[in-house]
Amino acid sequence: MSTTWLPCGEYHQSYKEDHAWFQTTFIKGKMILLGLILFIFIPRFADSYWLSVCNQIGYTVLGALGVQLLIGFCGQITLGHAAFVAVGAYTSTLLILEFPWPRFILDIGLAYPISILIAAVVAGLWSVIFGLPSARVKGFYLILTTMAAQFITVDFIITQYISQIGGRGQAFSLPPGTIKIGPWIIDSDLKVYYMMLVLTILCITALANLLRSRAGRAWVAIRDNDISAEVMGINIIKYKLLAFFVAGFIGGIAGAFWISNLAAISPEHFQWFWSLWLVGVILIGGVGSIHGAIFGSVFMVVVLELLQLAVIPLADEYPKLLMDFLFIKEATFGLAICAFMIFEPNGLAYRWWQVKNYFNLWPFSY
Amino acid sequence: MELLLMTLTTGIMVGGIYALVALGWVLIYKCSGVLNLAMGELTLIGAYVSLSFYSMGIPFLLSLLFSLIIGLILGILTERIFLDKLIGEPVLTVIMVTVGLSFFFKGTVEFIWGVDTKVFQPPVFPLEPIKIGPLVIGKVYLWSFVAALILLVVFVSFFKYTRWGLAMQATADDEMAALSLGVSARFVYAAAWAIAFMAAGVGGTLLGNINGLNISVGYLGLLVLPAVVLGGLNSIPGAIVGGIVIGVLENFSGAYLDKYFPGGVKEIAPFVFMAVFLLFKPYGLWGWERIERV
Repeated sequence: MSTTWLPCGEYHQSYKEDHAWFQTTFIKGKMILLGLILFIFIPRFADSYWLSVCNQIGYTVLGALGVQLLIGFCGQITLGHAAFVAVGAYTSTLLILEFPWPRFILDIGLAYPISILIAAVVAGLWSVIFGLPSARVKGFYLILTTMAAQFITVDFIITQYISQIGGRGQAFSLPPGTIKIGPWIIDSDLKVYYMMLVLTILCITALANLLRSRAGRAWVAIRDNDISAEVMGINIIKYKLLAFFVAGFIGGIAGAFWISNLAAISPEHFQWFWSLWLVGVILIGGVGSIHGAIFGSVFMVVVLELLQLAVIPLADEYPKLLMDFLFIKEATFGLAICAFMIFEPNGLAYRWWQVKNYFNLWPFSY
Repeated sequence: MELLLMTLTTGIMVGGIYALVALGWVLIYKCSGVLNLAMGELTLIGAYVSLSFYSMGIPFLLSLLFSLIIGLILGILTERIFLDKLIGEPVLTVIMVTVGLSFFFKGTVEFIWGVDTKVFQPPVFPLEPIKIGPLVIGKVYLWSFVAALILLVVFVSFFKYTRWGLAMQATADDEMAALSLGVSARFVYAAAWAIAFMAAGVGGTLLGNINGLNISVGYLGLLVLPAVVLGGLNSIPGAIVGGIVIGVLENFSGAYLDKYFPGGVKEIAPFVFMAVFLLFKPYGLWGWERIERV
């Protein structure tokens, strides 16, 4: 079923048309407008602070896309996605710091892009390893194994062993100038912003394309009823593992991207908290749509920034509020999840869909 | 040999505390079908409340009692405000509400009490250890174990012999039948949360006595998960056995595996064990097997 409203009397005549990217001129215009805003308007008018907020949103979107794929499209609930983001970040960092790159690759600035790709593949494979139990268990038990993935990867392997490589102790710091794509050294919020934009758009496009292919339909079938899916001839183990691979791949890209924005990476950035955060983001945004991952990220990041801005004027009278803002943030996030689950279980994407419908059907909404 | 015995006894004693908290978890799951990921934060709240009372100069047992009462109230409130509206929603929704609750509780606890380690001052239990033959056991461990055992007995006899406990058992067994016989399901859910809050609070207080109290005591709430998976999600004896086994396992891996894998092997071992165990026996030792039909 198409999700686009067409003018009266026009119908899709083939499956291909039904799933085309730009079905009406209006949609095309809308996307061009969005592109203009993202690429020209925001970099031009936002200051460094809001650019860094945008970068944070982009990072959250990249992380949440994988979770959305696993939970929203494939029905495999995961509470350990930060582990795969961490694998991506650490692979990329280690490749940049320790790998003996040939001189000419460094000169043309390919080291970082290559390391992003390798990091994504490594994170994807790592994710498949922990997706293997999904062949046998599901539901709550799968949640437990993904939690185990989180603790084994981040709290044990990375903290105890990977962090010791090179004798640096806890944190890896990337010397300035090592993060370089082609001729550009990624050193300002603006450059990180453009990189974030390109990566996010690539990932979203890739995921959306996957979702309208055979693999995407298989995932949705598995989510809706895995036994029926198997009966219909879908190799569920293969497609579940594929889902884990793609989710880990995007998570790896997220991690490898984020090191460009961090002065030093340490296991602290990838705690279990962050896994839960990503799941919370897609629940707030709406499970089962790519819009959901984006809306959720924008909502969570912006709301918390606004909360922080609101707290600052109060800080003179109650300095504890600003000092312990991290904890307020946690508590707010928790309450937001609870409130959304209770009052708006379909998330923001559903609201968006309703608003769109209202205008599409206006003035006769029946 | 001494090391073996020491590890075993310590493991069993710490495991007793885990068993107590696991009991609360299983109770919620049995009665209302909620898979609770906020158990660690429940332990934190109980522990901090009793610590606050204790540092005001109130005797330990009395402050424990106060924290039980506050746990009771908070448990009922939590159930009424958050969980009551979610009966019959999908698993993920309910789990994520408990995750949201855990964030909320954790943030609140950190905001009120800070993140520094706090100790029970003056120490509740005498510091000098007891010697039995070659064994040296800290009194804290012994008393914690005894307290956990007493509470386990109290809770189990509550289910077996009181009217309310029987109502809870009936609901857990067959909700529809219990409802038609006049058992109030809402009462049972509230009671389950209240008991879980209380059990977790006592567990947290005891653990806080052993190592001092900070946010990492909430990690206990995650250790409960391997314990209940081992015993089977809906089996009370399973929770007790699972808690003790996980306690022993944790201490053994700390004592013997640390040489080979330096670092946090003690914290990770229960989860590795759980992941492997799930592959072979996902329904635990005494859990009900679910047969799926299309």
